[in-house]
Amino acid sequence: MAEIFVEGLSKSYGDVVALDDVSFRCASGEVFGLLGPNGAGKSTLLKIVVGLLKPTNGIVRLGGHDIVRSPEAAKQIVGYLPENPSLYTGLTVQEFLQFVGKIRGVDDTSLTNKIDESLRSFSLVEKMNSLIGSLSKGMKQKVALIASTIHDPSVLVLDEPLTALDPRTQRLVRDWIGSQAGKGVTILLSTHLMEVAQSYCTRLAIIDKGRIVASGGIDTLRKKAAAGSEANLDEIFLRLTEKSGDA
Amino acid sequence: MAQVPSWTVIPVLIRYWIKGRFTKAALISILIGEIFFVLFILFASEAFLSFSGRFRIGTELTVITWSLILSFYLIGLIQSGFNGSGLPVSGGDVDYVFTSPVKSRDVFIAKVLMNSLTIVLFAFPPMFALYLRISRFYETSVVIAAVAGLVTLVYFLMGLFLSADVTLSLGKIGRRASLLKSVFIVFVVFVTLVPFLSILNGTPETVTSLIRFLPNGLAAATSIGLVSGSASGEILFFDFILLLLWLGGLLILGIRLSNTHFYELVQIRQPRIGKKIVATSSRSELNPIGRSVWSVVGTKERIIIKRTKELRALLMNVLFLSGFMIIYSLSGSFQSSPISFLFILFILGSFGSGNGMRWIEKERLWILKTTTISMKRYVKEIFRARVFPLLLSLAPIIIVIGVFFVATEPIDTSSQMSLILIFPAALQIPALMMGGSMYFAAKFGQSTTDDILETQTQELVDIKRFIYQAIINLALIAPIMLLVTGSEMVALFFGAGSTIPLFLMLILSLLYTYIILNIILDKAGNTIAMREDL
Repeated sequence: MAEIFVEGLSKSYGDVVALDDVSFRCASGEVFGLLGPNGAGKSTLLKIVVGLLKPTNGIVRLGGHDIVRSPEAAKQIVGYLPENPSLYTGLTVQEFLQFVGKIRGVDDTSLTNKIDESLRSFSLVEKMNSLIGSLSKGMKQKVALIASTIHDPSVLVLDEPLTALDPRTQRLVRDWIGSQAGKGVTILLSTHLMEVAQSYCTRLAIIDKGRIVASGGIDTLRKKAAAGSEANLDEIFLRLTEKSGDA
Repeated sequence: MAQVPSWTVIPVLIRYWIKGRFTKAALISILIGEIFFVLFILFASEAFLSFSGRFRIGTELTVITWSLILSFYLIGLIQSGFNGSGLPVSGGDVDYVFTSPVKSRDVFIAKVLMNSLTIVLFAFPPMFALYLRISRFYETSVVIAAVAGLVTLVYFLMGLFLSADVTLSLGKIGRRASLLKSVFIVFVVFVTLVPFLSILNGTPETVTSLIRFLPNGLAAATSIGLVSGSASGEILFFDFILLLLWLGGLLILGIRLSNTHFYELVQIRQPRIGKKIVATSSRSELNPIGRSVWSVVGTKERIIIKRTKELRALLMNVLFLSGFMIIYSLSGSFQSSPISFLFILFILGSFGSGNGMRWIEKERLWILKTTTISMKRYVKEIFRARVFPLLLSLAPIIIVIGVFFVATEPIDTSSQMSLILIFPAALQIPALMMGGSMYFAAKFGQSTTDDILETQTQELVDIKRFIYQAIINLALIAPIMLLVTGSEMVALFFGAGSTIPLFLMLILSLLYTYIILNIILDKAGNTIAMREDL
């Protein structure tokens, strides 16, 4: 399994600072959550981690591979689910997964088995020959999740994996995150749902205006927010982001 | 509260739509499009006049040909009418206009007037250019050419009304729409082709005289009759009144239909590059087992082209290019100026370069960019998947034209020798232009779902891209055009012994195409890899 190492990460677009000196470490097999208001820089951070954006400064290593210096090695071990995954709507579910598996370098036998197995576990067998364009949002999200793990990555980066899903699909996706964590996959996820963060994340980082304002386990965050022992993540989050706003 | 009277609400709606449609960017686009279209019309009319001069085609056959071309416009509009887009509306219309107490009849009238204004602005300059060229040929006046242009505009407006009427009648015909659509289009095609029977001997006059009562025939007969000076004033007046009756009749029908079913039937306009997916078979067509990743990438692209109706757009492009090549060849213009043939290919290619533009899908590039595959190689595979169908479709036409020339022209003419370069160039130019448009899509392309697309800023970026693309594409193909021009001189200079120098020039031209394509596709791959907004 592999760890995620981020140090002194900054990203600027001209004068606009999207990320400012972000550092954290996500140990092998850990589920690390990113919480933050809209526009805090969560998606930018995740895009840098998977190699879609180049950092202005700082280091990102996945399983010891630098995403900027050795992108091929780093990309081989990472799976990514964007916030609004756009898929090839003109391909069927099976074709799309075959395509992704092929460009991810999965061998033919493993690919066939993996697709069959994943379609079964996501109850998508009946939809395997349906065009992706004809699927509901929830089904598309399931397809994107399968695609993100088609090459059995040891690191998973999930950007708001539960956004706009119905309760049934949310439950399925939560279970899936749990099962991936159970397999020892290192997961970095951003979410708005405190319940998810509280249930699945071993550690959390609260990010606001491009900076990490607090990180650690839920107890550590309670202390940093000066919240009582009964305070839930919602309250902690609001206190910490308000503090950050005041600063 | 009293309902707002029609005379107040219709101008308000039109003003609101004009503000939305005729932005600064839109006006610049229209201007550029018009210039290209006028240039194309001038070239095409020149080719047709040479053709008609060579084969001694009289005004009767010209009317029939023009009538046929005009009918294609009508068929397209009927089809879009049956598809429910005969009266396109925007999301803003649905949210704010349709939920207001404005009468549906008033919305219909305002829409029709607005669309009419657009068609007048768009269509008059090229039509005027066309009739001006024909009037010069027949030595009639400029005023006559302008009047002929206005007659054709009446026909275009009638087509708009017909399309809207078809959409509005869908509520009445319901499930039978699909069947009726096919029957109606077949009927229109049949009726359109009737005038051609007049060429055959023994066809009853009552059948051939149908042309005088059908809108496309009336428009063609009146406008060509005017510019050629071949028809009497009374007949022209009678024909024009008939055409106006068609226009008025369809407008009244539309107003009547708009009182019912209006809001349920009009559809929201789709995004500009929106793709309609067609149904598929029940098994994977990708067949990745035992194949290389690049072969799978190529197959994926071909499947998407096929299923998103891009193939149809590609075939339309080929049909257009082929039709042009055939008419141009038969007109004999090759002999007088082969270089103009290539220049027209460039103009046509500029219109058709959308096929190259469609490859980029910003919002899906995450799938590729988070893997280890080379974007340079990916772009080249996509290019291959897109360019081969185009070239394979054009090649037979080019061969047929080539054989026709070899069979009909004296073997020792310099222009025939230069065919060695012209015909491969006719394939090289579309390929280079597709490569160029792929590069520009990589450089300036935006997401098909991005909100920014709807802003003026994005429209201005699109215009900038189009201008750059046209200039750079022209620069890309200029060496090939120069070689073709040079080939004529070489053929003249060396005479019968020019085969070897011409073949050397051909190799040079092919080598140039190969190298340039490699460079621009590599640049496209690099651009995609480097762009952070993709």
